[in-house]
Amino acid sequence: MDIVIIGLLLGGTYALMAMGLQLQYGVARIMNLANGEMLIAGAFGAFWFYLGTKASPLLALLFVIPLAFALNWAIYRVLILPLVRRAKSQGKLEVDSILATFGLSFIFIGIMVAVFGAQYTDYAYLSEPIFIFGERYGLNRVVAFLASAALCTGLYVWLHKTRAGLALRAVSVNPSAAGLVSINVARTSAFAFALGGAVTAAGGVLLSMYLTFDASYGVVFTLKALIIVILGGVGDIRGTIVAAFILGLAETAVATLIDPGLTLAAAYILFMIVLLVRPEGLFGRRTA
Amino acid sequence: MLETRNVSVLYGRHRALENVSASVAKGEIVVMLGANGAGKSTFLRAIAGQTRKMDGATVLMDGTDITHRPPHEIVETGIALVPEDRGIFADLTVRENLILGAHPARARAFEADNLERVLTLFPKLAERPKQIVRTMSGGERQMVAIGRAMMSAPAILLLDEPSLGLAPMLCTELFRALARIKDAGVGIFLVEQNAKQSLAIADRGYLLDNGHIVGAGNAAALTKDEKVKAAYLGE
Repeated sequence: MDIVIIGLLLGGTYALMAMGLQLQYGVARIMNLANGEMLIAGAFGAFWFYLGTKASPLLALLFVIPLAFALNWAIYRVLILPLVRRAKSQGKLEVDSILATFGLSFIFIGIMVAVFGAQYTDYAYLSEPIFIFGERYGLNRVVAFLASAALCTGLYVWLHKTRAGLALRAVSVNPSAAGLVSINVARTSAFAFALGGAVTAAGGVLLSMYLTFDASYGVVFTLKALIIVILGGVGDIRGTIVAAFILGLAETAVATLIDPGLTLAAAYILFMIVLLVRPEGLFGRRTA
Repeated sequence: MLETRNVSVLYGRHRALENVSASVAKGEIVVMLGANGAGKSTFLRAIAGQTRKMDGATVLMDGTDITHRPPHEIVETGIALVPEDRGIFADLTVRENLILGAHPARARAFEADNLERVLTLFPKLAERPKQIVRTMSGGERQMVAIGRAMMSAPAILLLDEPSLGLAPMLCTELFRALARIKDAGVGIFLVEQNAKQSLAIADRGYLLDNGHIVGAGNAAALTKDEKVKAAYLGE
């Protein structure tokens, strides 16, 4: 029972960070390998804010989200846009952007080590027990889950109920047709990339409330987000949420029943099974 | 009135289109006939801003030069393209596709009116607004595509082989719908291989061969033309 609840709490928080990569890869079509570093940057932002003010790290979202949005928008304009303009095909753009953002991730790690140091970092916020069905869980996990659920719901409603959200989904589904209905595809892609970075950083703020991290830990989250996006299907928000829960449950089950050291290995086995059996994702359709 | 002068397009070293000048006015149907690979689709893509035109080309919409504008700005001048692949959002619903059609600033204020008009034109779309377009038949998708284009309140509608892949009965239905769109004052420029049915509803026509315009005239005259009969009408 506690495996299920811890798994769901973890998966719910994963959902938010994976939504960030989903926006960057599914809409802007940029496979951002520096995604995890943005998450760690958000985590450091929350840590720094909490040490300085002793106020709730949730308040850190108020400055982490706009800062991450601005930073990612700048990254898109300076680094990614020239690659988009130059790319002769989607495949070429994918290779270029993977290489560029892979390099970018090391720049981020270097900056974060210089600013925050290389040691493991955590802080104690709401580390008191809460009882669910008679079992004790960390209150910080529950709060992080609820905040993530609120942000995911907000994002989902925005994507499905507003004209701007519809335009974003249109670019994701068919960029050339989006141009034909007067959507500025270049600007919408830049916006989606920036929004994705902001959402990922918000995920970092929430995860920092109960996870220990260090400056070079981002790659683990990049890979987890990637697993969730591929498992759920590129461009499929509903699939992302379901896949995030699956990953959270699988990791928790393996960590509890077998060995905590095997969580990442378990995630990878799941990933490989998906790639071999259902490469289009859970709800994705096979394309010809 | 949409007018092109000396539009040429280069694909690599191959000249796909050479000095094509054509026009279409509001309230008329103009058809461009040509074999596969003659450059028909390229011509429409060039007008809509999806393909680079060579220097010397001019595209005028109501006298305004729109030659080098990007696709999303050309839509705002009142030109809507339904490309060969239909240009629909297959993973979205019928309703979402139509609402996206009204995304251009020029069309937003009239979204409700245009939606009603499109649903009157294609009653089938009114029956299932929540269906994902991917799951529809070819004919229904074509209705979504044309409906999507009509939602932008176009003055000129560009259609790339709308009858392609449609059963004969659906073709007839489609061409009837086009005649009604024309009666509402919209200019239609369509490129087609189906010469018989398109000439029947058209006012004028152009013949395109190997990237060049090799003939033009009013539809009635073209229907009687020996060259046209031999090449396109199979007589």
